[in-house]
Amino acid sequence: MENLKTDVLVVGAGPAGSMAAKWAAKSGAKVLLIEKRQEIGSPVRCGEGISKSWLPEVGITPSSKWINVEVEGARIYAPNEKCLEINEKNAGNEVGYVVERDGFDKALAIDAANAGTDVLLKTAATAIRRENGRIVGVKAKRSGEAFDIDATVTIGADGFESQIGRWAGLPTNLALRDMDSCLQYRMTNVDCDVRYCDFYLGKVTPGGYVWVFPKAEGLANVGIGVQLSKIKGMAEARQYLDDWISKHPAYSKGKRIDIVGGGVSISAPMKTTSTDGFLLVGDAARMIDPLTGGGIANGCIAGKICGEYAARAVALGTPTKEFFQGYEKDWRARLEEKLYRNWLAKEKLCSLSDETFNKVVDALQGVKLEKLTVHNILKAVRDKYPEVTKEFAEFL
Amino acid sequence: MVSKKHLHIESSGQLCIYCGACVGVCPLNCVYLDETRITFDEKVCTRCEICVKACPVGAIEIG
Repeated sequence: MENLKTDVLVVGAGPAGSMAAKWAAKSGAKVLLIEKRQEIGSPVRCGEGISKSWLPEVGITPSSKWINVEVEGARIYAPNEKCLEINEKNAGNEVGYVVERDGFDKALAIDAANAGTDVLLKTAATAIRRENGRIVGVKAKRSGEAFDIDATVTIGADGFESQIGRWAGLPTNLALRDMDSCLQYRMTNVDCDVRYCDFYLGKVTPGGYVWVFPKAEGLANVGIGVQLSKIKGMAEARQYLDDWISKHPAYSKGKRIDIVGGGVSISAPMKTTSTDGFLLVGDAARMIDPLTGGGIANGCIAGKICGEYAARAVALGTPTKEFFQGYEKDWRARLEEKLYRNWLAKEKLCSLSDETFNKVVDALQGVKLEKLTVHNILKAVRDKYPEVTKEFAEFL
Repeated sequence: MVSKKHLHIESSGQLCIYCGACVGVCPLNCVYLDETRITFDEKVCTRCEICVKACPVGAIEIG
């Protein structure tokens, strides 16, 4: 295969990559999007629950092609199975859709293509290419054939297992407590409630949670994330999930029609996500929300900013580390505070006993909260269990 | 030279679901996922066993 030349090269056609490609193309750059798989969006590796408030910001129009159900809210279950309902009224932007993730990814790639992006499937980046210290593209392989891609700006959007971020020398390594091992079954013949996404907490799922996201009546994604620092042996994610399912009759009678696994980062934001000629975005840049494990919204929001900066660097001829400080500044202004706050909240939640979880959720039973903020929750807990609030002193 | 423990990644599909969790957690970037095959660099791997824990289905064994 002949060598290729482009203004902006995007590695990885997930949501962050397609979003970056779309906005770089819309901003006037010649864009090439490469994807190592043969089909964008497949196989799915995702719980498929997303919030919806951010969609207009990045130019995504909700479509029945990729929405399975629109939920009314979320239910957080304490270990004693009492639940706290989070709905549009008290939490606004946190509720949303359960999506068909492969359809969602394809829709975003189509948007990118319609904006002028060229797309190459079955094309993997195998190494980064540098000239005078600056990243100038990648070595690639397509259907067994090796070739070079020249790019003024290279964008790494290759997901949680990002190789390209490491090749670029960015600090993508994670501590054990900042990673989850995840497993999910798509199950049919289950008693799920299509009005809610459900989350179960406690020591049945150490340092993570069990989720039940309804795809349709009787069909749901049932999955688990377990914090790596709390795992001792092999296949523990599966054991915890199988145990949980066997103890919940609404799901134990269900039939598994799909199995999905993967790693999720639950870390504080990376210090650097760019260098000369190079930008990192999405799960590859550890932009996943460390509390929820959700990566799509942040990936798309940062993807848009990333694409726009890449195109601007091309137009101005300034694909430098210094110029990309603007990218760092803008995506952090939009996402960083919440990432830090949720990382702290995650650290705290991982340390709580089942008894404390039970008390927190119990204290909120029947309490009408105007807005579901950490502060309001802790005030309600203080009224009923003053001793418990001591554990949360740093949040008050 | 101390000999390293044996590491085996079952990636024939009996257990492995090709989810890439092992690739993402490796601190030395020595595990590779190539469509339906997972390999690791014997020379670089220090047997830290993080991938063993991260594998949700128990397809990686060390010992």
